Amino acid sequence: MVLKTLDVLGSLHGYGIARRIEQISGDLLAVNQGTLYPVLLKLEQEGAIASDWGASENNRRARFYRLTKEGRKLLQAETQDWQQTAAIIGRFFEVKAEDLS
Amino acid sequence: MKSLRRFFARLANLATRRAQDDRLREEIEGHIALQTAENLRAGLSPVEARRQAMLKFGGVEAMKQDYRAKRGLPFVENFVQDVRFALRSLRRTPGLTAFVVITLALGIGMTSATFSMVDALIFRPYPVPHPSGVVTLVSTTHDSPFDDFSYREYLDIRDKTKSYDGVIANADMEAVGFSAEPGTTPRIKGGMMVSGNYFHALGVEPRLGRGFREDEDQVPGRNPVVVLGPDFWRHEFASDPSVLGKTILLNGTKFTVIGVAPDTFPGMLTFGYPDLYVPLAMAPVFTTNLQKNFFEDRDDRELSVKARLKPGTTLEQARNELAVLAKNFEREYPNSNRSRGAAVYTQFQARTIEDQNWKFGVVFVILALAVLLVACTNVAGLLLSRARARAREIAVRLALGAGRFRLIRLLLTESIVLATLGGLAGIAIGYGVVEWFHSKQSIVFATELPMAIPFHMDKRVLLACLALSALSALLCGLAPALQSTRVDLVNALKSADVEVPGRKRLWGRNMLVVAQVSMSLMLLTASFLMARGFQRALMEDTGFTKDHLLMTRFDPRLIQYNAAQTQQFYKLLAERMRETPGVQSEALTQNIPLGVDDFDGVAFVPDGFQMPPDRANFNSAMDTIDEGYFETMGIPILRGRAFLASDTADAPRVAIVNEHFAKHYWPAGDAVGKHIRLDRSAGTPVEIVGVAQTIKYQNMESPMDFVYMPMAQHPVARMVLMLRSGGDPLQLVQPVKDVVRSLDPNLPMLQTRPYQDFYLNQAVRGPRIAIDLVGSMGLVGLLLAVAGLYGLVAYNVSRRTREIGIRIALGAASSDVLRLVIGKGLVLVGFGTVIGLAMGFALEQLMNSMLFDSGGVDILAYIVVVPTLLVVTMLAAYVPARRALRIAPTQALRYE
Repeated sequence: MVLKTLDVLGSLHGYGIARRIEQISGDLLAVNQGTLYPVLLKLEQEGAIASDWGASENNRRARFYRLTKEGRKLLQAETQDWQQTAAIIGRFFEVKAEDLS
Repeated sequence: MKSLRRFFARLANLATRRAQDDRLREEIEGHIALQTAENLRAGLSPVEARRQAMLKFGGVEAMKQDYRAKRGLPFVENFVQDVRFALRSLRRTPGLTAFVVITLALGIGMTSATFSMVDALIFRPYPVPHPSGVVTLVSTTHDSPFDDFSYREYLDIRDKTKSYDGVIANADMEAVGFSAEPGTTPRIKGGMMVSGNYFHALGVEPRLGRGFREDEDQVPGRNPVVVLGPDFWRHEFASDPSVLGKTILLNGTKFTVIGVAPDTFPGMLTFGYPDLYVPLAMAPVFTTNLQKNFFEDRDDRELSVKARLKPGTTLEQARNELAVLAKNFEREYPNSNRSRGAAVYTQFQARTIEDQNWKFGVVFVILALAVLLVACTNVAGLLLSRARARAREIAVRLALGAGRFRLIRLLLTESIVLATLGGLAGIAIGYGVVEWFHSKQSIVFATELPMAIPFHMDKRVLLACLALSALSALLCGLAPALQSTRVDLVNALKSADVEVPGRKRLWGRNMLVVAQVSMSLMLLTASFLMARGFQRALMEDTGFTKDHLLMTRFDPRLIQYNAAQTQQFYKLLAERMRETPGVQSEALTQNIPLGVDDFDGVAFVPDGFQMPPDRANFNSAMDTIDEGYFETMGIPILRGRAFLASDTADAPRVAIVNEHFAKHYWPAGDAVGKHIRLDRSAGTPVEIVGVAQTIKYQNMESPMDFVYMPMAQHPVARMVLMLRSGGDPLQLVQPVKDVVRSLDPNLPMLQTRPYQDFYLNQAVRGPRIAIDLVGSMGLVGLLLAVAGLYGLVAYNVSRRTREIGIRIALGAASSDVLRLVIGKGLVLVGFGTVIGLAMGFALEQLMNSMLFDSGGVDILAYIVVVPTLLVVTMLAAYVPARRALRIAPTQALRYE
């Protein structure tokens, strides 16, 4: 989700990412925003995202995260994975009893 | 891949921890500020807006923890923390720390130094690529599992075996007369004859030029080419690359330098570092044996043969193949090869069979390990008492929720820090000991050949050192760590000094005392025995006079004398010396007794002796001497006569044997007048004309067979002149020089010195080194044990101060209390003594079977050692007990 957000919106700070995820999920996914940071750290260590200091809307110093080339690749792979998984699961739900006989 | 990348990122983060913390804080603040602003826009009051923002963010501290854990490597961070903590707490007790570190350093240093011996003697791989594929091929007989091959045999092995990628041969390193320019006096260098494929098959690339080509080793005397050793090139030619193509003189013959061996290849010998390599085909220039033809005689065995196993060929296959070949040899050449087998040895086998010195190394290592063990028990005891004193601190930590594992890790880290410090200091000590060995080099090798003690603190030894440190950290740290974290919290927090005398706990400490006593006893027994063994070897009578003798060695091959010239030179030399004033008597001998070089061997069949069916002949060591030898050396002739001037080359051949030989083969009758036949029962008959007293020949060995042959009938090239003088033997040096100059001014005199000097260096100071080493190990062991024992017992007693107070308060007499604590100590020492004696006996058996007969139990050792330990224990128990008794009971009860 983080990767996709960054992919769509480009460079973004932590708060922006958290907000965006909330918005897209229609506030259904309201986890503690703080948990976002360890995830960002992990992604950064893996090289999927990079970060720089920049100025936020209210002119504070904020850290902006952006997707790297590797992150894009990762996103692609993950998307594919997810779609595959979703498709498989989806098929299970579509299956009706008579199809199996 | 991803996880690896993360690992490095985390590792990098370790360094920038503080900056990272700031970054996180700033980010969180920014986040909350933004959310607050948003909330404000939504119409909340500023306070409420911030509250909501915080709520939404969730637990800041929990998240920070998570973040930190993900960011760095908690394990490493904790370790760094622990190390810091350990260093801090160790610095608080500098005396104790220093003692522990020194103790461990002694143990580790001694062990690593002695291990470097064993490593050099047995384990260190050959300095060639893929050393494990190199095997040693030897000829075997009834008398020797390690005999050389002759040139002909080598050629057959090389051409008829299929198991190897290259079979190489080399002769022993020999003294070679080297001059860089014609006309200069030759100097002695160590030269080695090697087969043409030597460097190629070993995989050694010369650093300059090339190795030998096979065709340079085919025609005797055709290709005078030489490859220089790396050190020789450095010292003689100042690393000059233009040395290639240059002509040098070896034994008076011109040789062309074609290559320089690389620094990584100091040679295949354990002790020697050849200066020069020449092809086997050049043997006519170097051969020592005037009796045999190197290229033709199948019994002229001078070559060590090594080979590189083909990949995929097993040792078993190679052995079978060679065994078949040896059988063929026996059939085809019964004269030279009857009852002679062959064997293929791995590097380990070859080194352990060829030279027995490694056994001393192994015993040294065992002793050093015992020192280390004593050191470890000492440290364990100390740490234990320290940990007990810290029981409260630990209890507090436990109560605050520290995991037991975490605490054990903390305590172990402390012992690891100690062991590391000890290991570092131990490396220094190891270096010191190895340096000390090196300083004795000239004593051990009284020779002009390039020999050196090969013990080094190299990578392998340092690695062993490291392993030892880690091991000792575990040994001395684990028990205290386990024990001190197993605390009853309530009790521990209540009183400063918990003493729950659990049986187990006391048992642990008592074990330490017992181990202490028994190890030190074993150590002392062993070093006493060894020292005495060497000492006895020194005291033994050698059987000849050593004083008032001047020795000097000649090697006419160095200036290209032929056999006739050599004979003539020695004849004239002996005659002139006898006429020289101040010379009481003169002797020429091929080898001096107790010298550096091995005696030649002689194969013979004694007349009238029933030969065992599977033997063609017997072997004995022999020496070639002139008429004056027995008189000059003061060796009595027991029966028959000494050699005479009339025993010339044309006269019937004669020999003199020693008493041991005579008794061995003619136990009933007189050996004088009997004959031995050389090589085989149809060989040349030699009459025994005299029986000489048995002396010490090679070293302090038990009596052995020995044969003397007269120089005129058995000429050799290299001889030692021995002169007996009335006064200072050094006064004869000038007269000898004059005589030699009048005979041939070009002939160098080698190793001119009083024999007594030589003997003291060779036979006395060598063993002295071993005695010093063993003695100091024993002493260090005893000192450590005494210190440790005192510490442990005193500590044990002082722990009982309160108990003693109670006993006194209840009316116990002070003598009862004393008896109680001292008796307890004595029981422990008693146990230790019994175990120590048992281990000492076991070690003695081992040493007797391995090294020398040290002559049974050394009562003296026990008389000294056991009471020392007893007295120390009693003192250690008495002093603190006394102190405890002197305190008033009320005070004792309140103690601490």
